[in-house]
Amino acid sequence: MRPEEALGAARNAAAARRAGGAYADDPALRPATVDEAISPVGVTPELLREWALIAVEPGALYSTRRLGAPVTLLKRGLVRLLGQYLAQLEARQTRFNVALLARIEGIDARVGQLGARLEQLERDRS
Amino acid sequence: MRVHQATGVAGPYDAVSEQAAAYRRLLEDWGMAGGVHASLVAPGAPAGIELLDRLDAAPDDLVLIHYAGYVPGMAPLLDLPQRKLLLYHNVTPARYFWRVEPRVALTCELGRAHLPSWIAAARATAAVSSYNARELRSLGAADPRVVPILFDPERVRAPRGRPQEPDGDGRGVHAGGGKAQRGGGAGAEPEGAPLVLSVGRLAPHKRPDLVIRAFALLQRHLEPDARLLCVGPPVNPDYERRLEQLVVEVGARQVRLAGGLAQPELNAALAEASVFLSLSEHEGFCVPLLEALAAEVPTVARPSGGMPEVGADAVLWSEDSDPAVIADVTEDPDLAVVAELVQLAIRDAELRAELVRRGRRRVAHFSPQRVASELRSAVELALA
Repeated sequence: MRPEEALGAARNAAAARRAGGAYADDPALRPATVDEAISPVGVTPELLREWALIAVEPGALYSTRRLGAPVTLLKRGLVRLLGQYLAQLEARQTRFNVALLARIEGIDARVGQLGARLEQLERDRS
Repeated sequence: MRVHQATGVAGPYDAVSEQAAAYRRLLEDWGMAGGVHASLVAPGAPAGIELLDRLDAAPDDLVLIHYAGYVPGMAPLLDLPQRKLLLYHNVTPARYFWRVEPRVALTCELGRAHLPSWIAAARATAAVSSYNARELRSLGAADPRVVPILFDPERVRAPRGRPQEPDGDGRGVHAGGGKAQRGGGAGAEPEGAPLVLSVGRLAPHKRPDLVIRAFALLQRHLEPDARLLCVGPPVNPDYERRLEQLVVEVGARQVRLAGGLAQPELNAALAEASVFLSLSEHEGFCVPLLEALAAEVPTVARPSGGMPEVGADAVLWSEDSDPAVIADVTEDPDLAVVAELVQLAIRDAELRAELVRRGRRRVAHFSPQRVASELRSAVELALA
């Protein structure tokens, strides 16, 4: 086969297989639970709320060194020792994030209302 | 007169850092070599790259700026009195990263926003592809030159049919399961379990999720023994974990996300690969595609960004495209068609042989001699 013929042949083969019931409802063609997390699209308000909540994850602490296991243990131990201090930091940062987010969402809603009101006024005027 | 080079961040597995090192060798041959500098030099970066604050340029020297994104430490370069040549490697649109890695998204956004200032400060501009040059022109560059990636094909050529063994550090290149060898010469049908190879950073715009899905279809409907090896560092550990989860959800087996590989290990993977697959949505040039062509691996790819001008008629494109027309792809490809294309690239011996033959022509098109001549021309333009 020539390279120029390959795409047409692939399309025909896929169509024939589809007609025979293949590919239908294949897990590879269905939405996945991770789609939202890896999707190359914008940030939604729901995602912003998720990000606003700050929490230390000891599982995210690791070492990529050749003999990293003791280093990982040390790091996780330090986080545990500093737990009380980190909890305060988390609380302060989360409080700020959530307050800021609430403010932005309030402004967003207000802008939406004003936009609708402006449209109404322009319609009334015309 | 010397030509100094400056870039934002130098690190391992980084095309820009490798280009700067390759340019330095050329500039040495021309008796023009200055230093190579970066605002940040990460461990594992090519040897000899110094920090930017050590840049010591004489008034008549030229500063060649490799631009691939916003790095705050590069700003002082704008005020240098020396002549400047801006070489644009492309900046990924920020939209791909806001959800996955907002910090990278911000640097991409700023990188694009600041690009006009860099164009204005440069005496001459160049880009690694016509696609990138078109972007420069749209931002006000008068006559951007095209200086393709300087690529030495010998660096990816491993002995055919005798894949190099991976290093003993646990980062082997085998995707698990039976080991396939292409063997029998270029374009021959693979023996054993076919290996689908995808090379590129695990990042949203490269669409590794589509590669995984297309591979799952291939494995379930066409090639049950197929294996997938994805080479490239992830944008962050969380993104990698999500991709691993996707592998499980779509029911794919024999998949390995290997991270970044050193050149000998990558060569071993290329020597073993039955087919190279890229479904990237945004590429300024795509060095891995050229590497696959040089390693004589039949390739299936998506005609996005600068890829068509690299692969031209030597690649099985997932969508209709005229290689002379460079367009942005916007819709996901039909993954069943991609799976069928991959199988053709694995099993049709005549097709494989023709792709390999055309691939050699493409590699010759990007010969180091030709690229050196384009670089020389751009340097002379900046010095004129």
